[in-house]
Amino acid sequence: MIKRLAITALLFAGLLAGCDKTSESKQEGGKKSLVVGFAQVGAESAWRTANSKSIKDEAAKRGIELKFVDAQQKQENQIKAVRSFIAQKVDAIVLAPVVETGFEPVLREAKQAGIPVVLSDRRADVTDDSLYATFIGADFIEEGRRAAKFLVVKTGGKATIAELQGTPGSAPANDRKKGFEEIIKDHPDMKVVLSQTGDFTRAKGKEVMEAFLKSPEGKNINVLFAHNDDMALGAIQAIEAAGLKPGKDIIIVSIDGVKAAFEAMAEGKLNCTVECNPLIGPQVFDLVEKAVAKQAVPKRIDVQEGIYTEEQAKEALPTRQY
Amino acid sequence: MNAVGGTIPVLDPPAAKAPRAKVRASGAMATVLYPTIALALLLLFNLLFTAGFFHVEVRDGRLFGSLIDILNRGTPVLLLSLGMTLVIATGGIDLSVGAVMALAGAVAACLIARPEDSPLHVFNVSHSLPLILIIALSVALLAGLFNGILVATFKLQPIVATLILMVAGRGAAQLVTNGQIPTFQHPSFEFLGSGFLFGLPFPLILAVLIFLVILGFVRGSALGLLIEAVGNNPVAARLAGVQASGVKLVCYVISALLAGVAGLIATADIKAADVNNTGLYLELDAILAAAIGGTSLAGGRFSLVGAAVGALVIQTLTTTILARGIAPELTLVIKAAVVVALCLLQSSKFRELLVRIAIRRRA
Amino acid sequence: MSAANPAAFGWWSARNRLRGVSSRSHFPLLMTCVVFLLIYIAACLRYRGFFSLQVAVNLIGDNAFLGIAAIGLTLVILCGGIDLSVGAVIGCTSIFVATMTEHRGWSPALAVGVALAAGTALGVVQGMLIHFFELPPFLVTLGGLFLCRGLGLLISRESVAILNPLYVKLSSWSLPLGGHATFPLVGVLFVALLCIVSYVAAFRPIGRYVYAVGGNEQSALLMGLPVARTKIGVYAFAGFCSALAGIAVTLYTSSGNALTGSGLELDAIAAVVVGGTLLSGGVGGPIGTLVGVLIFGVIQSAIAFEGTLSSWWARIAIGILLLGFILLQKLLQPERTNP
Repeated sequence: MIKRLAITALLFAGLLAGCDKTSESKQEGGKKSLVVGFAQVGAESAWRTANSKSIKDEAAKRGIELKFVDAQQKQENQIKAVRSFIAQKVDAIVLAPVVETGFEPVLREAKQAGIPVVLSDRRADVTDDSLYATFIGADFIEEGRRAAKFLVVKTGGKATIAELQGTPGSAPANDRKKGFEEIIKDHPDMKVVLSQTGDFTRAKGKEVMEAFLKSPEGKNINVLFAHNDDMALGAIQAIEAAGLKPGKDIIIVSIDGVKAAFEAMAEGKLNCTVECNPLIGPQVFDLVEKAVAKQAVPKRIDVQEGIYTEEQAKEALPTRQY
Repeated sequence: MNAVGGTIPVLDPPAAKAPRAKVRASGAMATVLYPTIALALLLLFNLLFTAGFFHVEVRDGRLFGSLIDILNRGTPVLLLSLGMTLVIATGGIDLSVGAVMALAGAVAACLIARPEDSPLHVFNVSHSLPLILIIALSVALLAGLFNGILVATFKLQPIVATLILMVAGRGAAQLVTNGQIPTFQHPSFEFLGSGFLFGLPFPLILAVLIFLVILGFVRGSALGLLIEAVGNNPVAARLAGVQASGVKLVCYVISALLAGVAGLIATADIKAADVNNTGLYLELDAILAAAIGGTSLAGGRFSLVGAAVGALVIQTLTTTILARGIAPELTLVIKAAVVVALCLLQSSKFRELLVRIAIRRRA
Repeated sequence: MSAANPAAFGWWSARNRLRGVSSRSHFPLLMTCVVFLLIYIAACLRYRGFFSLQVAVNLIGDNAFLGIAAIGLTLVILCGGIDLSVGAVIGCTSIFVATMTEHRGWSPALAVGVALAAGTALGVVQGMLIHFFELPPFLVTLGGLFLCRGLGLLISRESVAILNPLYVKLSSWSLPLGGHATFPLVGVLFVALLCIVSYVAAFRPIGRYVYAVGGNEQSALLMGLPVARTKIGVYAFAGFCSALAGIAVTLYTSSGNALTGSGLELDAIAAVVVGGTLLSGGVGGPIGTLVGVLIFGVIQSAIAFEGTLSSWWARIAIGILLLGFILLQKLLQPERTNP
């Protein structure tokens, strides 16, 4: 028993020694800099990782000390993270909400503590606008609309559509579906005949598309709308395996604009991707610095987003960073 | 499940081996019977109500149809469920299989694609497929050893011991790919996931081969008996001279290796290492498959054939849902109904009840 | 599991049965507390601002719903079973309460009452399936998980903000603790539940039944204890606790979301087990679960305070800390008498 206690004490001492070393290295930075807490959704896609990297890189460039927390797609983790930022008395908080609702109480706490909050990527649905400084991000509904508008032009308003939805209940899946349907309903000859969730993943996208192609309705599909690029990329493989030509026999449109989607477009396998730009680090910190300095900032800033078709893909491909 | 405490079989002395083997064989028949009935019912449903479900044709020299999809898509869960069955039989559980899948896939993908920001960029082995496979599976093997040592040597409760790797393993996989989704072009590696041999999907052939090897290895040697002994009654097994820790270690290593193979198949299939999603929640499917197949979750009795049938039941259900275009929200409710129905089918008490009701009706 | 089979996680149960319920059985709990304190002190020394009343209180407040669910789960595990449906019940309850109060005009009290009743009823059904048909709890409650997750999404795919004035008032109420520190209502709920359950488990006959059934179901039956009532009762109580945890989430966030609590069952099981309750049943208790929940809270807070870890290093760090903690706990326990 004594031996065990001794080992424990040693381990504990080691733990503390480890701590000291890191805290020293942290202090090497020297002068007092801005401390910003960033509560990220997770690392669930290439898009998200690019988003995290953009924000981290920009923070490093500006000499801002960034407290980064990955919530692993759980709202409760994100709320805990924001509260720990408040306890750490950071200068500002950047929050990319997992879902739109449910942040009102914690945002109120941040406001009481006098810490400005910049929302990125997704809006938080709050009754009191003063709870956050500004929101910068994309409009998922608009992305769905744009994908649908592209299809209206491309197919001349006649299409039998299969839809690969994102994770049921998640904001991008809900909103992209909503925006898409909004446009489609004005075109009676465009119909979504099959719709399933592919959970935003390649593997599921492939599996679901395989099943679609074998179902009785599947024979007539000539358009695929995927809520993100990853599912579209998986589905392309399934379409090829069924002996069809993706991009020709079945028109494919998806959302996000990751690099792999551009590669697919350059090969003519994907027709269109609606860009949802993750590289918003510089814009975010411009807003953070203004908010900390108590300067006026607009309540809502739309990220500049494009829509890319296969014709433009080849030129754009070398410049894609994510 | 075993009935209350008293019916737990004690390890037989070696002399009683022959009759026991017979009992085991007939027991195995019974355990496989119910999942097979479930599978047959599901297929019957599709035969009657899902148009084109049984349609199989040859396209480009390959079999093509929903049934082939079931067999092909079912392979990862099938492989996982074999390993899971062995682990459960020793009285344990392995939650880390999904993470190990992601890890093995990430290692293979990074060795092939060699993305610059991956720590594996320094290894230049992309020309040699065997080397890639060996390295990726070695990582899986290490994961299995880690689990096995924690459970067998440090005597941690298996659910927590493997939870550690379930969390950290996916982190390690992300570390390997640096959070990206590396994509690759490597025809011979891709064959592992989407190739066809004799008109059949290669993963299926691979899974069948592995299944036979494991079955031969476990049932052909004393390992199967040792596993049941350790799972049934560890104290008796120890008194009989069984090295419980060794047996457990072997089972966790097998489980992780199979997870590694499943991860390679999944990764080769989509030509990318999607570390965040590869194998996510598949541990639950694997446990479900093992349990449907008649393996007692308390350890001891197990059936590899049952697990394989169980995996097919799960995949048939999934494919049915997809083929019928059922709304995603309803999918889960249907899954729930099927799981409970399967449980009831396996419960002898429930069957007795049914019989009693039937008799009363007739009377 | 359904039967108190000593084979399940055999070494543990065998050892503990040999030892019996003696004063020494409190030793592991004590050691768990010691390890928790060590980690907490290490975090306080390491991070500026970690040692404050508010951070300590947040540990309970932020993890209250996990804790509430884990308490129900503790009793199920003590009784030799397991309940995987907790996370899904939380999601389903939260979206139900939010939708009913916001879109259907129900009074919050009615919605909460119906939700608690439904959670309890689900528990009763699960318990009956498990007890009367001897089905494996793992599978039955996995069915419960699928069912509730599906029902939650059927109620509403979109998350719903709760604007009902009474609810908002309750949600923003918190107990002032002096200084700037406040203790939210959900924390109060958690602590109250913990006190009640600890008392019942230790001093009331029904509490002893749970331990007896979990220790050896057949013996309990032979001694004439109400095994069926106890087993179904713990599942019913777990269902109730999960529904309560779902309501705690709606208070915590003023909203309902069908996806809340996905994967929470594993966190809860881990918290229970880390807190010293054996999965084979019969050994452990709610206080240990509190410590288990706190340990998870400290690990998460420490990572948030560290703030420099990438997503993957954070996962790896959680794994390593968990491993270190469990090994430490193991190390501090007395030597095995019978290896």
